[in-house]
Amino acid sequence: MILFYREFKRNYKALLIWTLVMAALMLMMLSIYPQFAEQQEAIEQMMSAFPEAMIKALNMDKLSMGDILGFYAIECYLMITLFGSVYAVMLGSSILAKEENERTIEFLLSKPIKRTSVITQKLMLVAVNLVIFNSLIAVVNIIGFSFTKDNNVDMSIFALLSAGPLLLHLVFAALGFFISSVVRKSRNILAISLGIVFGTYFLSLIANMAEKMEFLKYISPFQYVEAADIILTESIKPLYLLVMLALIAISTAASYYIYNRKDISV
Amino acid sequence: MKAIDIKKLTKYYGRSKGIIDVSFSIDEGEIFGFIGPNGAGKSTTIRTLLNLIYPTSGSASIFGKDIVKDTEDIRRMIGYLPSEVHYYDDMRSKDLLSYSAAFYKKDCTKRITELAERLDLDLNKKIEDLSFGNRKKVGIIQALLHEPKLLILDEPTSGLDPLMQNIFFELLEEENKKGVTIFFSSHVLSEVQKMCGRVAIIKDGKLIKVESIENLTGNHFKNVTIAFKAADSDIDIDGIIKKEKKGNELKLLYKGESDKLIAELSRHQLKDLLIEEPTLEEIFLHYYE
Repeated sequence: MILFYREFKRNYKALLIWTLVMAALMLMMLSIYPQFAEQQEAIEQMMSAFPEAMIKALNMDKLSMGDILGFYAIECYLMITLFGSVYAVMLGSSILAKEENERTIEFLLSKPIKRTSVITQKLMLVAVNLVIFNSLIAVVNIIGFSFTKDNNVDMSIFALLSAGPLLLHLVFAALGFFISSVVRKSRNILAISLGIVFGTYFLSLIANMAEKMEFLKYISPFQYVEAADIILTESIKPLYLLVMLALIAISTAASYYIYNRKDISV
Repeated sequence: MKAIDIKKLTKYYGRSKGIIDVSFSIDEGEIFGFIGPNGAGKSTTIRTLLNLIYPTSGSASIFGKDIVKDTEDIRRMIGYLPSEVHYYDDMRSKDLLSYSAAFYKKDCTKRITELAERLDLDLNKKIEDLSFGNRKKVGIIQALLHEPKLLILDEPTSGLDPLMQNIFFELLEEENKKGVTIFFSSHVLSEVQKMCGRVAIIKDGKLIKVESIENLTGNHFKNVTIAFKAADSDIDIDGIIKKEKKGNELKLLYKGESDKLIAELSRHQLKDLLIEEPTLEEIFLHYYE
């Protein structure tokens, strides 16, 4: 566990900053909800003036901004899923690559520690940080809800709306970790990882806008945890859940396999 | 049991060769040198022993344990100093050394302070603020702190000033007296001569020879550069392997007794004289091939 503690020390500042910034954004958004709720009619009229594609892209056709969870799903959820995924993929893809990039891996692997154990402890750190990140944001959101004086928040749906992003973040972190175990140049690792996050987000937007492109929603992890679906069906689709768990399991297993056979070049 | 036993070790990097069919062994308690020009395969061999890279074929064992299968056990018994030391930029020397010690589940605080005093290193400074030589000292302490049975040192003296090199060699001798086996690579023949009982010589990925230092230095190779006062002066005695004349200057590669050379030189009028050790490359070129 030496490596885990070391990584925790090394990464807690970034975790703290991301959490604080995200929590502040959430509270800011939630603070404008009361006005929204009051002037709901006027706002809905204004919305109808927006282009249809945009309304669809943001799922505003399925959700009501006058309802706190609907408002949360449209205004806040996007930030947690998108920005959180950026954090997750950066964390996942750098934690192993950093050692090779800064050439400290030669030090680490000359100590009595198995490569398998290096990966396990680093993956654990990623998972723990993401759980902390998502839990703290969920707590802040609950506090935020209580200020809106809207007492009918369905907590079981909110729990799903919190578990969804965590799963999504774990998927992207696992993908980033896998990429970092395959690709040798660290500059490319971050580029590819961020490319996957923004690329699949873009695909998700297209899938929402154009009905012909609906098949895209199976490619984009963002679609797996879509707020509108979660709120309307009160669940995360088992198929999507399975795909996400499989993605995490396969990426992780592949990372172990590849890294245990890799020549460490410095 | 051999401290290190290498059998037909081969490593290819893709198509380019790293080392081919390298075999030699080191007894427990030996100080063994590993010399060769840059890029000859010294680091490749060492990094294979540590399982940082996987052998393409062949095998090696350290204290009877296989370098691939038992790498974790092996690493518990050895101290490794890489040729270039790179450490975490957020750590002070102190932090890095206690992090390193934690892996061996040993309390090494006393030894760390002792070694730091010997090497004159301030443990409270951030590693990234240290000079190259001081960073090397951190590397040396890191390799020694857990009292390993075998030290593997890759170009350990580069970056250390001559004074520090002496202290470092003293440290190594003390360790060796306690029974520690030392395997170190270098491209400087003289420092290997000073320390080692035997050396392995490697070139272009192939092991050329394993030789005791006595035999190697018994060869008495000298590079002699003579500037005569008279342009037509020349020297012709036994033991001159290569001769190159340019104006008043004569360059010799000489292998033989110093007395004879000096007797011959005294018969000429000299402007200048330089007698030096030949570089490894010259020895390779004129002796081993």
